[in-house]
Amino acid sequence: MTVAPPPRPRTWPRTLAVWAVVAVITAIAASPLIGIDLGAGFGAIGKNWQNGVTKLVELFQLDWRILPRTLPPLLQTIEMAVAGTAVSALLAIPLSLWSARLTNPWAPARGIVRFVLNIVRAIPDLLYAAILVAMVGVGALPGILALILLDVAIIVKLVAEAIDAGSDGALEAGRAAGGTQFQINRTLALPDMWPAFTSQTLYVLELNVRVSAVLGLVGAGGLGLLIDEVRTFFHYDQLAVIILELLAVIVILELGSSWLRRRLT
Amino acid sequence: MSAVNARLGSVVPPRPRHWWRWIVALVLAAVVVAVFLALPVAWNRLGDLPGEIVHYLWLMFSSPDWSKLPEALWQTWRSVAMAWIGTVLSIIVATPLGILAARGVGPRWLQIVLRVVFGVVRAVPEIIIAIIILSVTGLTPLTGALAIGVSGVGTLGKWGYEAVETVPGGAVEAVRASGGRLTDEIRWALWPAVAPAFLSFWLYRFEISVRASAVLGLIGVGGIGDMLTSYTQYREWATVGVLVLVVVVVTMALDALSGAVRRRIMEGSPIRDLAGQ
Repeated sequence: MTVAPPPRPRTWPRTLAVWAVVAVITAIAASPLIGIDLGAGFGAIGKNWQNGVTKLVELFQLDWRILPRTLPPLLQTIEMAVAGTAVSALLAIPLSLWSARLTNPWAPARGIVRFVLNIVRAIPDLLYAAILVAMVGVGALPGILALILLDVAIIVKLVAEAIDAGSDGALEAGRAAGGTQFQINRTLALPDMWPAFTSQTLYVLELNVRVSAVLGLVGAGGLGLLIDEVRTFFHYDQLAVIILELLAVIVILELGSSWLRRRLT
Repeated sequence: MSAVNARLGSVVPPRPRHWWRWIVALVLAAVVVAVFLALPVAWNRLGDLPGEIVHYLWLMFSSPDWSKLPEALWQTWRSVAMAWIGTVLSIIVATPLGILAARGVGPRWLQIVLRVVFGVVRAVPEIIIAIIILSVTGLTPLTGALAIGVSGVGTLGKWGYEAVETVPGGAVEAVRASGGRLTDEIRWALWPAVAPAFLSFWLYRFEISVRASAVLGLIGVGGIGDMLTSYTQYREWATVGVLVLVVVVVTMALDALSGAVRRRIMEGSPIRDLAGQ
């Protein structure tokens, strides 16, 4: 007895359609009339490249004299990152419990928190900073506020997902024992949430150092102010020192936080 | 109960004492307090802050200047186009590099080089990449697209080799056993296994790129970020309100669209009702 193999599934029409859509969008996006004029872009490269390449070469001729000047802003960047992380971690504890299904059975309240945080997440960090600088003035404060907005949205989303992914046995036991939702959340859900919460907070701290280093480009304090100054004068030899410094800080922070995360979980 | 306790001796273990947790908490609190004291912020002005923010939100959204909407949409489209081109560029570069950087695919030295490159690129914010390359490319949208492209290579490359390394070795061994070379292994064993994940990464990276492209406008490469900074500097809050609304709506819409496609790719089509057949 022979069994006929099933026919090969015909996937090529769909694959072709997907690639066609991608190609059409790319063509529209790259067309000079209605997209981003790539022709003009390449024209600019043609005009600039000789000057530009000498600038890029400067990147590798590090000018270490700027190093002492970079340390205070770098410290401020780290301070902003820590301050932003601390405030948003505190705000995120109740909000996470509020927006997870297991710890807040009332759907409308959950929906409101999630909807607001989705809106908050839709605006990029530097745009917040640009608007907040115009609102509350130049300095570290608008930067910290921008970081808090960004961080709360991230921590709450990820921690709430972690809470919902956990098991609800203990919470049910608490309910059976007659606990109010607040008592259940405080004594049962909160200890369960710690590992996810700490690991997301560490992640946000790393992210904050990266972000707060550039927030100064719009006037929100920290290393970005110096980056902005250096770039206006095209001092790429100094820019390279700042970038290296930032890389070093980020690598140290990542090593530290991954060590901590291993210890905690 | 007491009988059981009596039989087993002291069955109740001593309550664990987490004294080190208190030390960690105290140190953390001290660091945070020190940071707040060190920051040059007039904390006594903090009380006025909520009032001020409400005031500015009122200026922004009480009577938005809708006459700027067409230009806002046009600039948003330019930002999205920048994000799209940048993402396409990074896909073209990062897909082969990401596969080669996976353990067991490329040579060892190449893996190390590629991983370091991906790591460095990921650590540098897009806007700094744009500042670096704009001396060659000038202040054009192409600069934004290239910056997004470079930055995307870092993320897509990392996600790529991580995904390839999760593929079980069986299929690769089978291809090798039937005489396939490295290109055959990639085409017939690795690619079919990782393609859905890769497609999903590409879409997710596009979502990130859309946000990045809005930010890149701040240094003047065009798009919605450019428009937003100029109107913020002129303090034309009625227009800023419109721009913020456009950014929120467009970003959320693109996220929802891309998220739906990603779920469809990763979870497959909804189960069809076969009973009707």
